[in-house]
Amino acid sequence: MTRKCFWGIIGIACLTGGLMGGAWAQSSPKDGEWPTYGADLANSKYRPLDQINASNFNKLEIAWRFKTDSLGNRPEFKLEGTPLMVNGVVYATGGSRRAAIALDAATGELLWVHGEHEGARGAAAPRQLSGRGLAYWSDGKVERILYVTPGYRLIELDAKTGAIVPSFGKDGSVDLKLDDDQTILPDLTTGEIGLQSAPVVAKDTVIIGAAFREGMTPKTMRNNKGYVRGFDVRTGKRLWIFHTIPVKGEEGYDTWLDGSAEYTGNTGVWTQISVDEQLGLVYLPVESPTGDYYGGHRPGNDLYGESLVCVDLKTGKKKWHYQLVHHPLWDMDISSAPLLADINVNGRAIKAVAQPTKQGFLYVFDRVTGQPVWPIDEKPVEKGSVPGEWYAPTQPFPSKPRNYSRNGVFVDDLIDFTPALRDQALTIINRYKIGPVFTPPVESKLDDKIATLTMGTASGGTNWPGGSYDPETHTVYAYACNACLTPISLMASPKEISDMRYIAGTAGQPVTIRMGPGENSGADSPLPTRAPRAARGGENAPARGGDGAPARAGGGGVGGLSVQGLPLIKPPYSTISAINLDSGEIVWQVPHGDTPDAIRNHPALKGLNIPRTGQSGYNIGTLITKTLVVAGDGQVTTTDTHPRGAMLRAYDKATGKEVGAVLMPAPQSGSPMTYMLNGKQYIIVAVSGGPYSGEYLAFTLPREDR
Amino acid sequence: MKLRLLVAMIPLAVFTFWAQTPKSVWDGVYTDEQSKRGETIAKEECVRCHGQGLSGGEEAPPLAGAGFVANWNGLTVGDLYERIRISMPTDAPGRLTKQENADVLAYMLNLNKYPAGKTELDRQVEVLKQIKFEAEKH
Repeated sequence: MTRKCFWGIIGIACLTGGLMGGAWAQSSPKDGEWPTYGADLANSKYRPLDQINASNFNKLEIAWRFKTDSLGNRPEFKLEGTPLMVNGVVYATGGSRRAAIALDAATGELLWVHGEHEGARGAAAPRQLSGRGLAYWSDGKVERILYVTPGYRLIELDAKTGAIVPSFGKDGSVDLKLDDDQTILPDLTTGEIGLQSAPVVAKDTVIIGAAFREGMTPKTMRNNKGYVRGFDVRTGKRLWIFHTIPVKGEEGYDTWLDGSAEYTGNTGVWTQISVDEQLGLVYLPVESPTGDYYGGHRPGNDLYGESLVCVDLKTGKKKWHYQLVHHPLWDMDISSAPLLADINVNGRAIKAVAQPTKQGFLYVFDRVTGQPVWPIDEKPVEKGSVPGEWYAPTQPFPSKPRNYSRNGVFVDDLIDFTPALRDQALTIINRYKIGPVFTPPVESKLDDKIATLTMGTASGGTNWPGGSYDPETHTVYAYACNACLTPISLMASPKEISDMRYIAGTAGQPVTIRMGPGENSGADSPLPTRAPRAARGGENAPARGGDGAPARAGGGGVGGLSVQGLPLIKPPYSTISAINLDSGEIVWQVPHGDTPDAIRNHPALKGLNIPRTGQSGYNIGTLITKTLVVAGDGQVTTTDTHPRGAMLRAYDKATGKEVGAVLMPAPQSGSPMTYMLNGKQYIIVAVSGGPYSGEYLAFTLPREDR
Repeated sequence: MKLRLLVAMIPLAVFTFWAQTPKSVWDGVYTDEQSKRGETIAKEECVRCHGQGLSGGEEAPPLAGAGFVANWNGLTVGDLYERIRISMPTDAPGRLTKQENADVLAYMLNLNKYPAGKTELDRQVEVLKQIKFEAEKH
């Protein structure tokens, strides 16, 4: 592995030195900055700024834009970052290299860039591409930027120059595959573990989780484990570790029957972590254990899989936990940052934590004690019939708030624009097992059910962008996919594919390893040779997966579940909900996004008056300001009111009424943020998708409207 | 004199070339044979993520159907070609040759019910950018 910066750091620094001095000379109130991924360690994604408001949102203009194509050896079409802004400088990750960059917050001018060339280790990384962001830390004297490379190394940079901080770790980096209370297998280069989220720094402690490949088709039940660690921000020394899968002798070990805690892996924290610095508590949203849809090799409830865990900031010792899903079988993970909220319920002040989820439940706890704010009832759920599986007899159901997005599949939810379309949907649905949340997966059979058709599972509800929280009105705002159907089906795994008894697969199609987006697409993945086809195996050679496995013939995923090209499920396809945490009630809920062109222009729907449907998708995040909820569309549309593009929308925070929208060249692909500089409010949003490679767009108002 | 004539004819040739270039996907911009070649490649390179008939997989969108057509409506075939060339297949972006990418693109046009013609889809992006991707025939 060699390390080098993209361009001469010193050269860039000198080139922009005058400008940098100007940028750092600016002092701005903290409310005008955005110093962590989620605006603050409570992950509120809230800033009390109001220069951009309902009266002028439509007038927003592009202040500057930063294209990320050159931050790697190939452009990236999946830019998911949310930048930071501190002292007049924007910091972000970007490009297929996952470079760290600093930009002048007023102009977008590049101040410095740093990239790590990790060779085979980067090429083997489970989570490649640009990641979601980085962390900023200062003791008042020095400023530091921290981020995790695709190859799972924690890098510390001087925020002013982008130069490596040699005193941190070993020559400026910590190898996160070491000192992890486990031996990463099979070796440090190819051992599966990484991270795409932004590090969190609280009181001089850097907190780092772990991520793995998509988990529907594990190659082995004996995967690496996703422990969480705290590191000293000055030295990189490990301060503590929390075993997300308890080791022998620790509480929770006995929830893994037959000794399965010894070999089961995953169970990482791949999304954002929240911290209450005053209480000295860290909130960890833990993902699924090995095998998203099959848990026969890990009988028991499997703590701390799909649990919200609170640990001590100084020691990493567990304070409390709550398992949201026992014996996980649906890839619900806990996919987004816990929202820290000081609320008042029936006259009682509560320091709460609210957890949005893929399953559309908002779980609300006292964040000191872990007690539910409203009762969470254990209710019996259906037992499945997949051979060797272990089923939890009950699952927790929050009594309040009610679920804010669909989390089961029912006949009543099927498309009903016309009787003919509905009849076709009924025919399609016959091939699937359907039911409420926690309906178990099936073994896929051609002469029986081909899959369990689910919502609120792998890509439903609120995913990694998470929700927002308004500390003034005690309200959570959360985008949710309301029509992201996921067929879950299992097939016996051929031994050469996996040592699991069952992995995701569909009857009638080859069983293969399924890869997630971005795998093998990072800048360290070697550029392929373009040998003649025959030399590569030629026509009619067996189709190969990325790991050499025979390719599957595809599943009945997003595209397979449609009626004449229309979604099988009726609108709204997505929503933004406002949920008041004092009352536990949904205050308003609106569809988010234009009605897709394919629906608005569909011949079978001609003459019908269809209200705005919203757009299906799982990667939309919200920003809230003093008066607005801001979120972009996840799809492009062409309508009578705007040319081809995706809209960045503003809603009245109090009512949900749309009060403004501006055109973007591509869908929102990373959550928006805002800041104030030199008397101007800016909104930055990451866009990418379709033909459009990753770009950060910075919006502000024209001079006459400020 | 002859040289001058030749030079004078260049703009005419260019004009003739552009005039003969189809302007939309409705104008028969690929051949059936090319689409068949593309189908063979797609079965090996694309269906493992995008599903049988490129109708969508668990992690990848459909490349056939109204939603796909709507997403690319108003752009050019060249835009789609570039996206494929740069980022596909995701496990080894750039593995396919330009000709193979053009063949896969021909198959995708066929799947989306655009008519075949007598001329193969070119493999030069500059030429493909002259072909509009339109959801509806105008």
